[in-house]
Amino acid sequence: MSENNSMKNKWVKTLVYATVTLLPWIVILVVMNDLEKRNEASDYIKIVNYEKKEYLAPVDHGEFEELQKEFKTPMEVTEACVSCHNKRHSEIMANAHWTWDRERIRENGDTIRSGKKNVINNFCIATNTNTWKCTSCHIGFGYKDKDYDFSDYTKVDCMACHDMTGAYEKEPLGSGFPVDEKQAYSDKTYFPPNYNYIAANVGNPTTENCGKCHFFGGGGDNVKHGDLSSDLNHPDKKMDVHMDVGEDGNDMTCVDCHKTENHEMLGKLYSLSSSDEGRLSCTECHEGDVHQNKILNRHNNRIACQTCHIPEYAKGVPTKMVWDWSTSGRVKADGKAIKEYDSLGNVTYKSAKGSFEWATHVKPEYVWFNGTGENMVYGDIIKDTTQVLKINELYGHHDDPKAQIIPVKTHRGSQIFDPVNNMLIVPHVYGKDSTAYGVGFDWNLASKVGMEEAGLPYSGQYSFIDTEMYWPLNHMVSPIEDALQCADCHAREGRLASLDEFYMPGRNYSSLLDLIGILAIFGALGGVIIHGGIRLFKRK
Amino acid sequence: MKKRTYIYRSFERFWHWTQSLLIILLALTGFEIHSTYALFGYERAVMIHDVLAWSYILLIIFTIFWHFATGAWKQYIPTTELVKAQFQYYISGIFSGAEHPTRKTSYNKFNPIQRLTYLAFKVLIIPIMVGTGIIYMYYMYPESVVHVGRLEFFALIHTFGAFLLIVFLIVHLYLLTTNDDPVESLAAMVTGWEEVDVDPDEEHKTHMQYAVDKSIAGYYRLDLDGNYIDVNRAWLDLYKCSDINKILGQHYSITRSKEHLKETEELVARVMKGESIRGIPSIRKCFDGSKGKHILSINPTYEDDKIIGVEGFVIDISDISGVQEQIYHSVRNSDAGYYRINLEGFFEEVNDAWVELYKYNSQKQVIGKHYSLTRKKKDVQDLTDTFNKVLNGEKVPSQLVNRKCKDGTYGKHILSINAVYEDTKIVGMEGFILDITNLDIKKENA
Repeated sequence: MSENNSMKNKWVKTLVYATVTLLPWIVILVVMNDLEKRNEASDYIKIVNYEKKEYLAPVDHGEFEELQKEFKTPMEVTEACVSCHNKRHSEIMANAHWTWDRERIRENGDTIRSGKKNVINNFCIATNTNTWKCTSCHIGFGYKDKDYDFSDYTKVDCMACHDMTGAYEKEPLGSGFPVDEKQAYSDKTYFPPNYNYIAANVGNPTTENCGKCHFFGGGGDNVKHGDLSSDLNHPDKKMDVHMDVGEDGNDMTCVDCHKTENHEMLGKLYSLSSSDEGRLSCTECHEGDVHQNKILNRHNNRIACQTCHIPEYAKGVPTKMVWDWSTSGRVKADGKAIKEYDSLGNVTYKSAKGSFEWATHVKPEYVWFNGTGENMVYGDIIKDTTQVLKINELYGHHDDPKAQIIPVKTHRGSQIFDPVNNMLIVPHVYGKDSTAYGVGFDWNLASKVGMEEAGLPYSGQYSFIDTEMYWPLNHMVSPIEDALQCADCHAREGRLASLDEFYMPGRNYSSLLDLIGILAIFGALGGVIIHGGIRLFKRK
Repeated sequence: MKKRTYIYRSFERFWHWTQSLLIILLALTGFEIHSTYALFGYERAVMIHDVLAWSYILLIIFTIFWHFATGAWKQYIPTTELVKAQFQYYISGIFSGAEHPTRKTSYNKFNPIQRLTYLAFKVLIIPIMVGTGIIYMYYMYPESVVHVGRLEFFALIHTFGAFLLIVFLIVHLYLLTTNDDPVESLAAMVTGWEEVDVDPDEEHKTHMQYAVDKSIAGYYRLDLDGNYIDVNRAWLDLYKCSDINKILGQHYSITRSKEHLKETEELVARVMKGESIRGIPSIRKCFDGSKGKHILSINPTYEDDKIIGVEGFVIDISDISGVQEQIYHSVRNSDAGYYRINLEGFFEEVNDAWVELYKYNSQKQVIGKHYSLTRKKKDVQDLTDTFNKVLNGEKVPSQLVNRKCKDGTYGKHILSINAVYEDTKIVGMEGFILDITNLDIKKENA
C-alpha cells in the first residue's frame, strides 16, 4: 500500500479508536456539565393567582361627618363604622376571631364547638378563669368571663384590625378594652387612643395589625408559634422570603396569603383548630411542577413544601421551647417571687409560672400529617398518664397516602392534672385574688377554683404530667439558597431520622447486606491478590 | 498457532467501554446515594445517576438489537463443556504454567466460565439492576405504573447488585492478567485486533470454504461419472446459470459445445487417472447459449487414496484486456494458487501451488510478508491500486499480471481478487492465480 494510503488508514483507525473509547466519556462529561447548568437555572419561580394589592381605603374617612364627632368610648366608634358598613359586623361576629370557637367533628363522631374558649394548651393552659387577661387579644370589648354577650355588635372592635395609624392598642389586662387613662405595664406605657384620628385612618389590615395579637400569643413576642414574631413586621429576605421589605423584596403582608372574603379568612393553625377545611397552602400561588428538578417535584407527593423551605424557625426573636409548671412556687426567703434570666435576657424562671427554655434558629421536628388532628378540650380524659401526653395530635402515617411530612415546633411542658379523674386541670393562674396561683402559690386552691368555673370535677389531688404540643410551621419561609438540601434528610443521621417506618435512600440500609457486600469486595480483592501472588511466586 | 485476528468489532468495543464507564460512574454516584461517602453532592449524584441510568437503558436497547442483528448472542450460549477444566485451570493449572484449556478465536472468543458469567451479567444482574432502578425512580407515585408500596425490598436488591458488579469488576480486571499478554488483551479491546490461538487445520478449512464461496473464480466439482456435485456462486455467474439446481446432477458435457467437448473429455480422462491440470484455456457454453473464455484448473478429488471425482477453478478471461487469442490457447499446466492478504497488505495464507509458482520453499517464508515482495517495483503501484479498490468494496475483474518470484525470475499469471469479510467488515483480500508463464505463444498459434 502506498505511503499516502497507509497514512490515511492510520488516521481513520485513530478516529475509530477514539470514537470507541473516548466518545462515551466526552458525551457523559458534556451531559453532566449541562445538568449543572440546568441546576443553576432553577431560581426562576412561577407564581399563579397572585397580584400585589394596595390596602389603602379608597375614600378619605376623615371627611365623613359621622367620624367628625367626638368619641368617648370605642363602642361609639364601632357604631359609627356600622352605620355605613352595615352587615359587616354580622360577618365578623360569625368568625372565630369573635366567637373564639368553631364547630368541628371529633374523631369519635361527636360534634363540638372548640377554640380558645375551651382548648387546653401547655403554655398558660386555658382561658377559663383568666379570660379577662387573655381577651386583650379578642376582637371585642369587655370579654371578661364566660357570661360575655356575644350578640352585642357594639362590642366588636373594628380598630384592632383596621387601624392604619399603629397608635391603637388594647390594655394587656383590660378584657379587650384600650386604656381610658394613661397606664404603665412593666416597661411599656399605654395611652388612651385618639379615636377620631384612628377612625379617619382606617384600611385593610396590615402585618402590624395581625401581629399585635398573632406575634404575641402566649404573652410575649414569638412565645407560642416560633414562626410568627415581630421580626415579620420588617423582615429581610433571609427572615421571610415573602414578606421581605428589602429593595427587591416581595413585601407581602399577612392578608396577601390569608385572603379574606366577608371577614372569613383562609388558613388556620392545627394547634388550636383541627378540622380539615378553610386551609391555606403554598399551592395557592405555587402551582404544579415548581422545581426544575423532577425528582424534587415528585417529593411533594409526601413532603410538604414547608419541610424543605422552612429549614429553621425563630430566626430572630427567641421562641419558648419548654414550659415546666411543676417547678413553680419557689420563692425567696422573704416570700417574694423569683425571676431568673439567661445570658440573653430571656426569663428562665418565674415563681408564678415555673421554668422556661428558649431557643433561636431552631431546627423543626418532622411529623406525618394528613390534614386531620385533635385538640384536648376541657374535661377530656387522659388515656395513659404514664406517657408524655400529646395535648394536640396531628394524624398521619407513612402508609396513609394523604399524609405528608410537615415541620412542626414541638412545645414541651409539664402541667397540672388530676390523677384521680385522669383529667387535665384548668387552674386559676392569673388574678388579683389570693386563689390565683400567681398570688397564693397554692395549686390546690387554684385547681379548685379553675375546675369549678369550668364545671369540671376535681378530686383534690393534683400531679404534673409531661406534655407535648405541636405547632405546624408555615411562616418564615427561607429563600431558595437556604432551603434544605438532599443530604439534610438523605443521610444516615438526617433530619428525618425519627420517621423510621419507611426506607429512605441515603438513610436506610441493611447493615447485614452492607457487611456481606464489603466482605465480598474485600474477599474478591484478597482473592485476586493471593491468586496473583501464587502465580508470581510459582513463575519464579 | 498464534494469529493476529480481528476479534472485537467496533460496536462491541464502543459498547464495552461505554458500559464500563457507565457502571463505574453509576457505582460512584450510587454509593454516594447510599451515603457511603460524599463526592458529587447528593442532588448531583442523584441527577447524574438518573441520567446515566437512562443512557444505560438506551445502550442496552441498541446492544440487544446488535446482538440479534449480528448473531453475536451466540457467543453467550452457555456450555457445560470444559467448565470444569477451566475451573481447574484457574485454581491449579495456572500456577504450574499449564496451557489454557480453551482457545480464543473470533468465532468463540469466550471461555466457558466467561460465557456463563457474561450471560448471568446480561440476563440476570443488569436486568435486575435496571428493573429495581426503575422502581426506585417511580415507586412512590400512585399514578405511576411501577408503583409499589414499599421500596425497601427493591432498594436492597439494587444495593446487592451494586456490590456484585464491583466484585465482577475486580475479578474481571484481574482475570485480564491471566491472558498471555494482558496489555495486548487490553489493547485488543481498543483496536479490535488480538493475537489469538488458531487451529491451523480449522482455520484453513474455514478460509478455503469461505474463499470458494466468495471468490470471483468459479469452483466446480464432478463425481466419477462426470456429473456436477458442487459449484459456487461465481461459477453460476460465469455460466449465466440462474439456479444451482439446474446444474447439479447434470453431466459436464452440457457446459461445452460439440467442437470443444472432445478436448474437455480428454482432460477429464487424464485427471481421473491421477494427473493434475494446473491451468488450461477452455471455451464454455453458457446456459443462455453464449460462449465465454476461461482458464481452467482440474485436479482429482480423493477419498482414502481413491479418486472419487475431479474439481477445479475457472477464471474468466473473456474481458481481460491484453490477453491475446494465442495466449489463451497456449496456457498449459497451470494450477490454482491461493493467497490471502490482510488489511495491512501482509500475507496471511498461501497454498502449495502458490508457493511453487513463486518458487518459495515453504509457506513460512511468505506468511507475514508484504505483498510488494512479489512484484517488480514498477508493478507494485498497479497491484496497490487494485487492492485499494477491493478494500473499498469494489468488484474487480480478473487480471493478467507479472509476478516476481523468490529467485528473482518473473512469471505471468491470471489472478482473481475478492474482499474477505467478517460480517460486513472487510478484513483482507484473497484470490486464486492460474499460471500462464510456460505457454509457448508461437507454438500455440501454430
